Amino acid sequence: MPESPIRILASSDAVPTIRRELSRRGFLGIAAAAGAAAILTACSPGGGTSAAPKATGGALESKLSIYTWGDYDSPDVIDAFTKEQGPTVELSSFNSNEEMIAKLTAAKGTGGYDIVVPTGVYIQQMVQNGLLQKLNLDLIPNFKNLDSAFVGRAWDPDNEYSICKDWGTTGFVYDKTVISRELATWSDFLDAAQNEASGKTSMLDDASELTGAYFWANGIPWTTTDEGDLDAAEDFLVNTLAPHLEAFDSYPGGGAIQQASHVLMQAYNGDVRLALMETSEPDRWQWVLAGPKTEIWMDNWSIPTGAPHPEAAHAFINYVLDPAASLQELDYIGYHTGVANIEQAAADAGLELLDMVFFTPEQLATMEEGEVNDSLARVVDIYNKVKAAAGA
Amino acid sequence: MTATDTRTILSAKSTVTPRAKRNRGDLGFTIWGIAVLVFLFLPIAVVVVYSFNVGRLLTSFTQFGFDSFAAIVSNEVIRSAVLISVQTGFLAALLASVLGTLAGIAMARHPGKWVWWFLVLLLLVSVTPEIVDAVALLPWLVTLGQDWGIGFFNDGIFRLVIGHSLFSIAVVSYLVRARLIGLDAQLEEASADLYAPPLTTFRRVTLPLAMPAVLAGFLLSFTLSLDNTVIAAFISVAGSTPWPVYILGAVRTGLRPEIAAVSTIMLLLTLVALAVVALVLKRAGDSAADIARTMAGG
Amino acid sequence: MRKKAGIALAFPAWAWLLFFFVIPVGYVVWFSFGYKPGIFGTHANDVLSFDRYVEVLTPTFFATFQNTLWIGILGTLACLAIGAPVAYWMAVKAPPSKRGLLVALVMVPFWTNFLVRTIGWQIILAPNGWVSGVMQTLGLGPLDILYTRQAVLLGVIYNYLPLMILPLFVAFDRVGPALREASKDLGAGRWTTFLRVTLPISRPGVLAGVLLVFIPLMGDYITATILGGAKGNMIGQMVATQFQTAQNWALGSAMAIMLILIVLLTTAVGLGIVWLVGVPMRLRNRVVLDPVPAVTAATAPASPAGGAA
Repeated sequence: MPESPIRILASSDAVPTIRRELSRRGFLGIAAAAGAAAILTACSPGGGTSAAPKATGGALESKLSIYTWGDYDSPDVIDAFTKEQGPTVELSSFNSNEEMIAKLTAAKGTGGYDIVVPTGVYIQQMVQNGLLQKLNLDLIPNFKNLDSAFVGRAWDPDNEYSICKDWGTTGFVYDKTVISRELATWSDFLDAAQNEASGKTSMLDDASELTGAYFWANGIPWTTTDEGDLDAAEDFLVNTLAPHLEAFDSYPGGGAIQQASHVLMQAYNGDVRLALMETSEPDRWQWVLAGPKTEIWMDNWSIPTGAPHPEAAHAFINYVLDPAASLQELDYIGYHTGVANIEQAAADAGLELLDMVFFTPEQLATMEEGEVNDSLARVVDIYNKVKAAAGA
Repeated sequence: MTATDTRTILSAKSTVTPRAKRNRGDLGFTIWGIAVLVFLFLPIAVVVVYSFNVGRLLTSFTQFGFDSFAAIVSNEVIRSAVLISVQTGFLAALLASVLGTLAGIAMARHPGKWVWWFLVLLLLVSVTPEIVDAVALLPWLVTLGQDWGIGFFNDGIFRLVIGHSLFSIAVVSYLVRARLIGLDAQLEEASADLYAPPLTTFRRVTLPLAMPAVLAGFLLSFTLSLDNTVIAAFISVAGSTPWPVYILGAVRTGLRPEIAAVSTIMLLLTLVALAVVALVLKRAGDSAADIARTMAGG
Repeated sequence: MRKKAGIALAFPAWAWLLFFFVIPVGYVVWFSFGYKPGIFGTHANDVLSFDRYVEVLTPTFFATFQNTLWIGILGTLACLAIGAPVAYWMAVKAPPSKRGLLVALVMVPFWTNFLVRTIGWQIILAPNGWVSGVMQTLGLGPLDILYTRQAVLLGVIYNYLPLMILPLFVAFDRVGPALREASKDLGAGRWTTFLRVTLPISRPGVLAGVLLVFIPLMGDYITATILGGAKGNMIGQMVATQFQTAQNWALGSAMAIMLILIVLLTTAVGLGIVWLVGVPMRLRNRVVLDPVPAVTAATAPASPAGGAA
């Protein structure tokens, strides 16, 4: 990797400080211009608020640190990026958004990560706590490749802090040898759970999505904070549904479908698609994008405050939004990456079950975003109660 | 005096084991023991078999092949995760053994009222759930590393070692204390009577006496550290993702057979390491029975 | 002098644990008296109260706690029942030349990541797996054990068995063949020897094994969830949920403290029962099996602390 010279523009009284800092180990790869300000602000506790973008198209640093979900990036894409543009990439993984936020909050801007991959609903929270810095979209010309449907979502209407990495939705899958009728909506799901699939149903291990099934079936927005709605949800889920639930599994595609452990499973589209591609009995299972409403969740590229290599970060995000690279990513992770017009290329490349990755605009219209709001504590409480009731 | 003498004489005799009468009771024990060992290895065997799967999902056996084994060579993330885990395990076990041994010896040989308080502390350490340790350690380590500027605490491996060492210190202390309490202090007194300064007594009498427990503690600490997930997830830093944390994260996208393959490789390396240790001990003159005692701190 | 040397030797461990355990956990206790400030905050402590503890004591918590206790106690007893004969076999019956190998074999499965081991079990117990297939050809019906309480017990026993076997092995081994032979020479049968010689001497080791299994088991939840699904609902999961999904560190801390207190209470009750049960045994045993107490007062203060092995 060629070592790029570092050029810093700073005020004269800051120079001795910068020289001192630079001579210390661990301060390699400091970016241009505002990098000096970044050093000084990062040293003071309390962290800076997200100011002007720190990257201005200078030379790329030699390293890039990405904090993402486990096994969520195609190694081929990463290797190609390093080969073509230089920075070596280091991946660290987390298991939940809350863990990631806790880490970033505690580290107060010195976590050392350049790119972080939060799920959409948490971005508001992270921005308010000063955890994310604004993106310099001038450095990401491939931004225009994104399908307009996946740009400017509720949590970041102007894409100041995040860009779509991939998105998915929630539906369910059922065993056709046990359930012979056709299921299409969440009401069907809840009904089947109490009848044919009683004692053999699994739902997602997530508080919002668990209660979401009830709300979607009853035409209530799943982010509701209305006490009456929540009470009704609790009553149904705890008293009527819970005794019929066998498991709370967010990734049944990884095991439960192969092992035919349950008959009816609430699941994410990519997870089920993977299972159907790999199972020995694909005709046994039927995937349903349940109506009338369901969710859309989106994982995003963001740059945390205090990122040591912002130039490389922008370059990487731009690289991944290129259609060819994006297709590779899609193939690896099994979810739609948000880039427009790659469906044909995907079909040509021989990817299977594309109807579980690419959805029609009508289907997209049924997907609503989530939100972290005042109902969170109540929703978690309902989730705990359902688990206790199901375990009894 | 008499008790020690008797034991010494009789244990010298007992290395020549009288031929055990093969009666039904003994056979029952053997069958049960072997059955339990098979039970312990059953899922391991499954994992080994499934590591020869070249499909996309670990749980779905599509085709036999060796491709998954290439992952530990080609996949940088997996390789670094395994290395971090092994390094951390070793360091944490070392630290726990040193601190735990000193504490165990202190409790057994130099007791006082403080022992009661220390045992309470050790009990609290054992009783605290991992998640509490994890959440408690994170802000504290950040305060130490960032606010107070002590550079050590920003290093990934150091932090992991701290997190893994807590429970292990308690375990090693218990083991060493239990071992030494059962042995008379007379050997150390004899050593002192022979004009050996306290440090020499410690080095040449106490420590060797405690050694089996120390080694057992080391092994147990290493094992516990390799599997430690919750604490590691919270306190690890960029670039120091340990193996269990990687796996837990990979569940989200469907575990690949590479994970089974890497587990198989780690298993083989473990067996090799144990064989080497056994060989070294044999060369050093211990009989097989003593090796067992060594491994289990008996 | 003795005491000073003791404190000095134990100082590094003291200091380490004080610094990296007591202080951070003090934080957690501190958090538990606080509250959650709004939807995006995790904890705040400007207003202190016991409210979080009141919040914890709900029927849900108790129901989950009951489940956890059931699994904890049953799991520990099962580990004891299964592991004790194995430990005895390894320490007494197996040929001495093989003992090292056996100890190693017991430990080796532990060196595979626990999640991978548990998935191994999932594959074995799968309704459409190999074992199930064999059972079906034998006419026994498909294997339906996954996602039941039995599966949780199986997983829990599996993961904690080595932690029970090793201390028991150490304990039985310490008795030594000499005392057993002496007992047989005096006319005692095998059971009598076991109950009146081996068991009392190995009591600290047995206690160590039981505690080493029961205590972590009460806080564990991942194995239970993977193999038991809904039936594997444990308190540890509730604590983790509060710290993760709900981001309510105050409530999570209160739950964690409650969990610790409950585990301590259960352990105390258990130890009390064991002590009571042991009273008639101790009354009958006239032989003092501890090492001949040396003239120093050193051994005497050590014995009250011996109960925790």
